[in-house]
Amino acid sequence: MSWIDLLDLLQSVFDGVMFGTTYALIGIGFTLIFGVMHKINLSYAAASIGAAYLSLLVVQIVPTPLVYLCAALLGGVLGALVYLVCFRFLPLNQPLATLMSTVGMLLLLEEAIVHATAGMPQNYPAVFAGVVFDIGPFMVRGDLLFVFALGCLAMVGLKLMLEKTRLGLATRAVAQQSVAAQLCGMSVSNTNATTFVIAGFLGGTAGAMTGAAIGVLSPLLTLPMTVKGLVVTVIGGLGSIPGAIIAGLVVGGVENLFQFLRGVSERDIYVMLMLFAFLVFRPGGLFAAPGGRD
Amino acid sequence: MDFYIGLLQVIGVHSLLGLSAWCVLHTGQVSLAQGGFFAIGAYGAGMLTTMLGWPLGWALLMAAVLAGGIAVAVGFPALRVKGLMLVVATTAFAEIVRLVFFNLSWKVQTPEGLIGPDGGLGFGGIRYFQANAWSNLHVLWLIWGLVAVVMALLWSLDRTRIGTLWRAVGEDEVAAQSAGINLTAAKVSAFGIGGAIAGLAGGLFSHNTTHIEHGNFTILLATFAIAYPILGGLKSLAGTLVAVVFIQGVLIEGLRFLGDWRSLLFGALILLVMLVRPTGVLGAPLRLPFVGRRDEPTSSAIPVERTHHA
Repeated sequence: MSWIDLLDLLQSVFDGVMFGTTYALIGIGFTLIFGVMHKINLSYAAASIGAAYLSLLVVQIVPTPLVYLCAALLGGVLGALVYLVCFRFLPLNQPLATLMSTVGMLLLLEEAIVHATAGMPQNYPAVFAGVVFDIGPFMVRGDLLFVFALGCLAMVGLKLMLEKTRLGLATRAVAQQSVAAQLCGMSVSNTNATTFVIAGFLGGTAGAMTGAAIGVLSPLLTLPMTVKGLVVTVIGGLGSIPGAIIAGLVVGGVENLFQFLRGVSERDIYVMLMLFAFLVFRPGGLFAAPGGRD
Repeated sequence: MDFYIGLLQVIGVHSLLGLSAWCVLHTGQVSLAQGGFFAIGAYGAGMLTTMLGWPLGWALLMAAVLAGGIAVAVGFPALRVKGLMLVVATTAFAEIVRLVFFNLSWKVQTPEGLIGPDGGLGFGGIRYFQANAWSNLHVLWLIWGLVAVVMALLWSLDRTRIGTLWRAVGEDEVAAQSAGINLTAAKVSAFGIGGAIAGLAGGLFSHNTTHIEHGNFTILLATFAIAYPILGGLKSLAGTLVAVVFIQGVLIEGLRFLGDWRSLLFGALILLVMLVRPTGVLGAPLRLPFVGRRDEPTSSAIPVERTHHA
């Protein structure tokens, strides 16, 4: 491999890591919900893409950064809706019931998107779209850098929320020991609902970031985002937020590495094989949550 | 008439797919790998009859054995994890299978010309039924004959020691293990038998449609596979059949007059079924959603967590 090839390879891995922030956010959403409810919300990535689609409604009226903010807020609204429809009125001791209801929601959201847009991909606005920074032999796309920064901002916001507010305290308490939290006077169902809204904020941001980085939104994004988000969640370790962040960046990088080496149609095979290697050699993921007392 | 025969054929193939997921769900595991085994069976049987000229019976048997064998081989590492981890592991497996077939291009010269899987373009010309002058009705008989055989086998299996073991593991792994049940053997056997049934269904599918491509075998197919037994209720085999008829017959075909709105209604109806009958259509007495349900969830908050929270 010549010197130029090596530079190209590093460049694509670098781009992949930056795009990996979207995977990281989706992974954090899965992990947050799993943390408090021990349930998996399969409609999460679809709701995130759906929030980005909904934010297209205001794209003509407001400047682009506000469109992203709208996507985040709408993600929160959709999160509350998903909780209300798929979790609130279902028996939580039936693990299969919520799995199936979120699958129904996933199909419903996907079809709603197809129905509303006639299945046509929609352009999504990006900031700094034409800007390219040169760092030595590498170049950094402005829009991708913005996506990366936005992702980091969302993660910092989440960290502050979880550690500095009463709401975050309640979320962590319910995640650790829901009965003890209940005995201390916290409403478990309210905390669950709030967690869905917070995860929805992150998801909406991730949806907007995906749209901004790729340039278009398509209903075909929902299933791959769901799969990648789940992969990130498992590689990072269930319930671990730092794990999800690192795993998201790693998955983004590895994905682009193999896209460079083996082509776009084969790249996901290697991502999945990496996941399998993790399941065999380190089933707990990068950072397994501390051993459960419950 | 042909339309209804075709519909019944689809229902038959999907019933087998649902029954394959039923085996695995019976041991309390949620597997999204059934679509992968289905794809292995579809490509395997198709390649055997077209490229090697095998008779259909042997090709179907081989497809079942192959898919079952791969299921056992994958089952050993994959079934070490459970719950969400297993969902993701099996998803990854199904995606690997799909992508391998997406990248597989291998054509051989046969009397009918070049034939074989052709990467993204799919695998066409699996015309065994047409070449051997099978009528639609014959194919229908074959499919439903196999459905009947598989259902009879599973029904009797459910009443033997193996069925009891599977159910014990599905109800409570810890209790089953402390009663001396070999968890790995129970799970891997269910996984293997489920994989073999899915492979058989795949073989029937590829010969029935004559053209298959990787897009037939996405996670969506695997989701349907587990949706049938869950919606129908895990307690009975008939529930799976009812759910397949409901989804394929009523929701997908029966609502065609609604046009584009049909697929919207589809997700909503799955949601509705889960709200009204959380343990499946044939699972438990009718319960009303939104009424008197807050008493139930409290039981899940007891620290004795179920081990399989998916």
